[in-house]
Amino acid sequence: MKQNRTMVVIFLTPALLLFFAIFVYPIARTVMMSLFSVENVTSSVSEWTFTGFKNYADLAQTSLFRKSMWNIFRIWAVGGLVVMSLALLFAVILNSGIRFKKFFRAVIYLPNIISAVALATMWLQYVYAPRWGFLTDFFSWLGLEDLAATQWTAAGNKFWALTFAYCFGMVGYHMLIFSSGIEKIPHEFYEASSIDGASKPRQFTNITLPLLKGVVKTNITMWTITSVGFFVWSQLFSTVTTDLDTITPMVYLYLQVFSTGNTVMEREAGLGAAVGVTLGLLVVLVFVLTNLLIREDEIEY
Amino acid sequence: MKKIIAMLLLAALLLTGVSGAFAEGKTIVYWTMWESTEPQGKVLKEAAQAYEAETGNKVDLQFKGRTGMREGLQPALDAGTIIDIFDEDMDRVNVSWIDYILDIEDLAKAANYEETANAGLIGAARQVAGGTLKSIPYQPFVFAFFYNADIFEEAGVEAPPATWAELLDACEKIKNAGYVPITSDDAYIMTNLGYHMARLIGEEGVRRVVDNGEWAEEPAVLEAAKAYADLAAKGYLSPTIGSSVWPTNQNGEFAMGESAIYLNGSWLPNEVKEMTGPDYNWGCFSYPAVEGGVHGPEAANFGSQVLAINKSSQVAPEAFDLIVKITKGEFDAKLSIESVGIPVDSTNIEWPAMLASAKDVMNQLSVRYSWAAGIENNVNMTPYIKQAFQQLCGGQITPEQFVDTLETASN
Repeated sequence: MKQNRTMVVIFLTPALLLFFAIFVYPIARTVMMSLFSVENVTSSVSEWTFTGFKNYADLAQTSLFRKSMWNIFRIWAVGGLVVMSLALLFAVILNSGIRFKKFFRAVIYLPNIISAVALATMWLQYVYAPRWGFLTDFFSWLGLEDLAATQWTAAGNKFWALTFAYCFGMVGYHMLIFSSGIEKIPHEFYEASSIDGASKPRQFTNITLPLLKGVVKTNITMWTITSVGFFVWSQLFSTVTTDLDTITPMVYLYLQVFSTGNTVMEREAGLGAAVGVTLGLLVVLVFVLTNLLIREDEIEY
Repeated sequence: MKKIIAMLLLAALLLTGVSGAFAEGKTIVYWTMWESTEPQGKVLKEAAQAYEAETGNKVDLQFKGRTGMREGLQPALDAGTIIDIFDEDMDRVNVSWIDYILDIEDLAKAANYEETANAGLIGAARQVAGGTLKSIPYQPFVFAFFYNADIFEEAGVEAPPATWAELLDACEKIKNAGYVPITSDDAYIMTNLGYHMARLIGEEGVRRVVDNGEWAEEPAVLEAAKAYADLAAKGYLSPTIGSSVWPTNQNGEFAMGESAIYLNGSWLPNEVKEMTGPDYNWGCFSYPAVEGGVHGPEAANFGSQVLAINKSSQVAPEAFDLIVKITKGEFDAKLSIESVGIPVDSTNIEWPAMLASAKDVMNQLSVRYSWAAGIENNVNMTPYIKQAFQQLCGGQITPEQFVDTLETASN
């Protein structure tokens, strides 16, 4: 027994040390930093100035930060609804016994294996470009000149152009998660309900959806994490200076911590840490709410 | 057989150790903001190789890119990573990283460096470092209106505009000739506003407005807004100026010869040379003077990248020698030619043909603006200014609405 305990300690210690070094320490340091005025992420603790919750108060009073939060809320809520609906629809269709299932699944998933830089360039230069873009040509061909003249990346439109392009690439990822859940549901359930006269929509609402609660929770959590970390697409849609349609909390954090814009500004890593802590709490909040609202059943897939 | 292999390996190991022990050269670690595929990166590599051949020292040249430098340099320095030389924008090195860099006044004096240096840039480097030399400028730039001289000629514009009235006249002729007079992209459009306001009230005035939110209180804001609303109303601005995501209009209508004028840095010819081809007829003029303003063509944003030595470096004299190698004579000229850039060695008097017209602009400068004359000085306001100015130039809002929007956003 004593030997076993020694072995447990020997095997667990490296893992625990790494866990503390890689996860616990950075989280604890970030939370601490958010309560101080800190110039740079690597500034020594002796250079920190305690300011309490001032960083959080400043964030709450900064209209640009509030705007960035509003942007990710819209991406999360509107984009999430569209992405989850389409992903579930495609997953159900793919598992309904259609031919060439693997081919269609690969096509829908394809955008996920293409670099975001290439995808964003495609959307900006080949779809939204005001003079030669696909949308301009398409609406001109239909004779809808007003729509053809729309500047899709102008202020106000750019947010939706960005959200649409991002969602386009995310459907396949969440479809795969839904699909893996649907595949686990025994076929007998569907056969039995068919014999009882249940239609396909009825099977979907009474069998598929209730048995996918766990998968829905997983998808919502994954979507929340990616929405909160929304950064690359934002940078690609406003390459040098960010704008109101593309600002997200992660971009705001990046600007504050690294001062990467054209103008060299004072850096404020403490404020950046406060943004990071706020976002972390947001993910936890959504996770808790999801667990409260979507109760687990005895049978789930 | 095994014994022979073991002995050979041992001999090889000993030889390596012995040769290492007798090696005289020192290693200089150089982190650069350029990528290895960029013209600047290629020339730096050649310069480092030439330096190695001459001195026996080794140069560990690491290409970090802009993002790599801005995100990674300071944490690496704080962690004690050996980095002897690094380069970046003059303001970033001398402001953000000032605590890490060595005062090189003595090294520069011993090498008589300033005898053939660009006096204006050395002065700017000293000024931004608080009065002492802590970095060596290279790859200078000037920010001005670049234009397609063939379009100017075809439209009958005989001389580059020096005043706002002359600019309006030139735009009218260009428009009548069937071209878009002025274009821009979202990355640079705010520089137009910054320059116009700085012409009226100087950079200090611009910073005061941006930092203190004096958008409604300062009449120059409305005046600048009216000037650009006027350009938009007269059809002098690109119809897509309010929506173009960089580099759409730069690489599109400007490089393709459909629009004539673009306010940008002297790196522009290099960026679009693959699209314009070698026959593009480049012109350059300083932002025009405006009526009742405080500055004219003598003021602009100019500066450079700079090379600095880590104050903890153990090989500072050798590092300075490498900097001299890069910024003087053969390799300064090569950097200028390959990157279509401005030389810093005053004995390299030939500028690339594409930048010949920028030389006149550079020579007349006596007042230095920082980036965009300070209009991007408030990180919490920049996106609001950008959007409002794009809408103004796109004809979506009036000058009064522009002022009101920014006044509201700043409160």
